[in-house]
Amino acid sequence: MTARRAVVRPLLTGGLLLTLLVAGCGVRPSEVIEGRPAQSGASQGIRLYLLWRGQVAVVVRTTKLDRPPSPEASLTLLLAGPNENERRQGFTSEVPAGLGPVPSTPPTGTAPGSPAAVAGGADGLTVTVTGPVRPLSADAAAQIICTVADAAAQAGRAEYFVPVTIAGSDGALPALPCPIK
Amino acid sequence: MTRRRWADGRAFGLRVRLLLAFALLGVTTTAVVASGSYFQARTVILQQAQDAAVMSLTDQLAQIYPLRQLPPTQDDLETLAQRLSDREGYAVVVYRDMRAQGAEAPDLLTPQLRQSVRDGVVAWQRISVSGEPVLLIGTQLELDRPDGASLPSGLEIYSVRSLAPEQQSIDRLATLAWLTGGLSLVLAVLLALLAARGVLRPVRELGRAARSLGEGRLTTRLSVRGADELADVARTFNDTAATLERQVGELRRMEADARRFVADVSHELRTPLAAMTAVTDVLDEEADRLPGDAGRAARLVSQETQSLTQLVNDLIEVSRFDSGTARLALDDVDVAAAVTATLRLRGWTDRVHADLPPGIVARLDPRRLDVIVANLVGNAFRHGADPVSLRLRAEPGWLTIEVGDDGPGLRPEVLAHVFDRFYKADTARTRSEGSGLGLAIAWENARLHRAPGQRGSLTAGNAPHGGAVFTLRLPRVAADDVEETR
Repeated sequence: MTARRAVVRPLLTGGLLLTLLVAGCGVRPSEVIEGRPAQSGASQGIRLYLLWRGQVAVVVRTTKLDRPPSPEASLTLLLAGPNENERRQGFTSEVPAGLGPVPSTPPTGTAPGSPAAVAGGADGLTVTVTGPVRPLSADAAAQIICTVADAAAQAGRAEYFVPVTIAGSDGALPALPCPIK
Repeated sequence: MTRRRWADGRAFGLRVRLLLAFALLGVTTTAVVASGSYFQARTVILQQAQDAAVMSLTDQLAQIYPLRQLPPTQDDLETLAQRLSDREGYAVVVYRDMRAQGAEAPDLLTPQLRQSVRDGVVAWQRISVSGEPVLLIGTQLELDRPDGASLPSGLEIYSVRSLAPEQQSIDRLATLAWLTGGLSLVLAVLLALLAARGVLRPVRELGRAARSLGEGRLTTRLSVRGADELADVARTFNDTAATLERQVGELRRMEADARRFVADVSHELRTPLAAMTAVTDVLDEEADRLPGDAGRAARLVSQETQSLTQLVNDLIEVSRFDSGTARLALDDVDVAAAVTATLRLRGWTDRVHADLPPGIVARLDPRRLDVIVANLVGNAFRHGADPVSLRLRAEPGWLTIEVGDDGPGLRPEVLAHVFDRFYKADTARTRSEGSGLGLAIAWENARLHRAPGQRGSLTAGNAPHGGAVFTLRLPRVAADDVEETR
């Protein structure tokens, strides 16, 4: 009896081991394995920040220019709203179409006749638009801030997270950086 | 011998235990080593394949930059998917609600993988598609931000490639591992058999030697090989056997000395006794004429001299049995006639109820038969009571003579010793008429009659109605040269 048990136990262990071995053979499916951060690269064109299903999302517009676009140009494009292709894919903009360009003299460094004006440097940017800015939604403000700050950063005028003040006919919104982390 | 032991319940004998232990050891070791290296190698193979695939994908993706237009058109996605697909796999490009695939295939992307990619890391996952392992790698194409961070673009690239070549390599490894395991098992069994032989042979020799020693061959010795525990046992066995042989030899020598002494004394007594007998014969003749006490003394001397002569003769007879020199003088004898002659010679014919069927012829020593019958009948007269009966019977191969009396029978304690030398049943009677050797001599004489597979015997017992019964059993045809089987 004892001898039999002494034989049975190792046999069981061996059988278990064998089963494990057989079961563990081959290439097994795995969980998701996460590696380094995602592939990243440059874009060539003007980056605008539109809304896609309520989220601020970046789009790239093709330009013929080689140099980085100016904040003013970007702002003008943003104020014009999404183009046809973007609209077809579900992009929207909350920046009201009525927000017009600034009639005052543009600050130094901006192209003459620019519809909107972006002033300031590394300490903070001020965007001046025509029309009231108070009714602007948070998303609309974020669109303007991110577009201007991105362009200014690409042009080397300010950091990406520089605080941006939006000023209009009814005063100015408090200075905020781009909310996209 | 080994095979017989296998059969009768030695399933877990030393050999099997050794075999199992070795096999288990070999298999376990191989299993651990082989499975360890197998898993290690599998991990390395898979990791290398995955890393290479990820590397190749990121290299390809680096060439897509700079992105010129976002959101892309469906055509852009299709072009990208085609560009990223190659022999080893195909690409799936997803942009928000749009999707393009480099090959006709079902959607394999798992929600978990999509989530990880959306979270902004390069992620991969092995899945099984109808038994075939497939590697999925996914990443989002992000945009560099001026501050060094990156911006999610919503463009996701997935690469789907088969792991069949890796599976083949791993399967080859597994085959190799199983082969190694099998070979090691065979090797373990061979080694176990070898070890079992090495251990079992001395053990078997030891058993054989012990049996031989037990059967009385005291000269049995083992050959001592090596210096291990088994050699120690063999050495101890040899020492024990030597001691035993020496002591038994000593005992035998002493016993032989004692017997020779008795034989010598008996022989030495014969000559003076012969002279004394001659003198007492003369005394006997004169005793009647001698007056009173002198006559009684003369008769006593004559009588005691006869007893002494009888005792010495019996002693000589016994010493012949002891020294093994007693030999049968065989003859074809009509047993009934021989017994009748014995009774008549001693004048007992009238006092014994003899039942002697005629025609029973046996080959035996007539003188010894005479001694036995005379002893038994004389003993019955001395210790039992009349009437004494004698019955001769023939059985196939045997003849039996029963001598019974009507006395009180034999008490159990007497029964056990009745054939011992000088045994006196009645301790109160210090001097009986016999020498005390009669039954012992009769017993030896009965045993001297032997045939192949048969041996004469003399037994004592009690009849159902009371009274002692001595049964003599002799082979019908005794042989004189049956080998001694003591």
